[in-house]
Amino acid sequence: MSALPEVGAEALVQTRTPSALDLFMFSASSWLLHRIHYDTPFTTGHDGHPGLLIHGPLQGVYLVQTAESWLGDAARLRSISYRHLAPAYLGDTLECGGSVTAADDDGVEVELWARKPDGTVTTTGKARFERR
Amino acid sequence: MGVMTEEARRWAERQYPRFEMQVTGTDIAKFAHATGETNPIHFDRGAAIAAGYPDVVAPTLFPYVVRMHASALVPPEQLEADGSPSADVPPLPTRRAMAGETSVEFGERIVAGDVISVDKRLADMYEKEGRSGPLVFVEMEFTFTNQRGEMVARENFTRIYR
Repeated sequence: MSALPEVGAEALVQTRTPSALDLFMFSASSWLLHRIHYDTPFTTGHDGHPGLLIHGPLQGVYLVQTAESWLGDAARLRSISYRHLAPAYLGDTLECGGSVTAADDDGVEVELWARKPDGTVTTTGKARFERR
Repeated sequence: MGVMTEEARRWAERQYPRFEMQVTGTDIAKFAHATGETNPIHFDRGAAIAAGYPDVVAPTLFPYVVRMHASALVPPEQLEADGSPSADVPPLPTRRAMAGETSVEFGERIVAGDVISVDKRLADMYEKEGRSGPLVFVEMEFTFTNQRGEMVARENFTRIYR
């Protein structure tokens, strides 16, 4: 059984720059029909967005993937909470990482984040992993 | 002064029918490729069986796909101009919405061939005074169950109107 990391240990940062095709595939595969993720004229004309928005739930997936590739061999994700602090747009790069905030006999708790290279945090989360 | 009118309060008491999604290996593979999953257990049946699963396994956040189908798999005339399902838009003076917190708890894994039911409930709807005016919080609760009655996920999702 792989060991779980200790409090303070950090995930390897994963970098994502989703393309227009990636955004469209996420909308299509989840049947998320909101135009702000695939219709550029609507999005830039509406609310004055500078471009297509990277879906909040796709950023949730990035947090889960970052944590699972780090801890998934030793433990299973039992729960996650996340919220969005700033918008992320097509063309933005997101650096996703995390660290262990608590550990006990059954598992670990981690905090997770996605941020732009300028330091703006777009999504932040907390998750609990339990030993397999 | 408040934006939680009698009409909004009545809307908050609405009931949602149970929705069922028959999850195929194709549904799972689409979501896996869309999110850049590389583990073949999500798109190769042989790899999933070799890993001890009965069929291809859905990525962890796949319940999101099920709940979006529950909301948005409707005739196009039941969608707003921005593509969102009309049934999810509360009668408020504003339609400017932002996503609040999402919390998900996971149970049994979803595999191809499962029939996943979603029970959707409006858990709470309340108004708070924000810095630039009233904010209305709409908290939805989703329970996902497989065909054996096992819990696969529970999710709480808050949308904030300002």
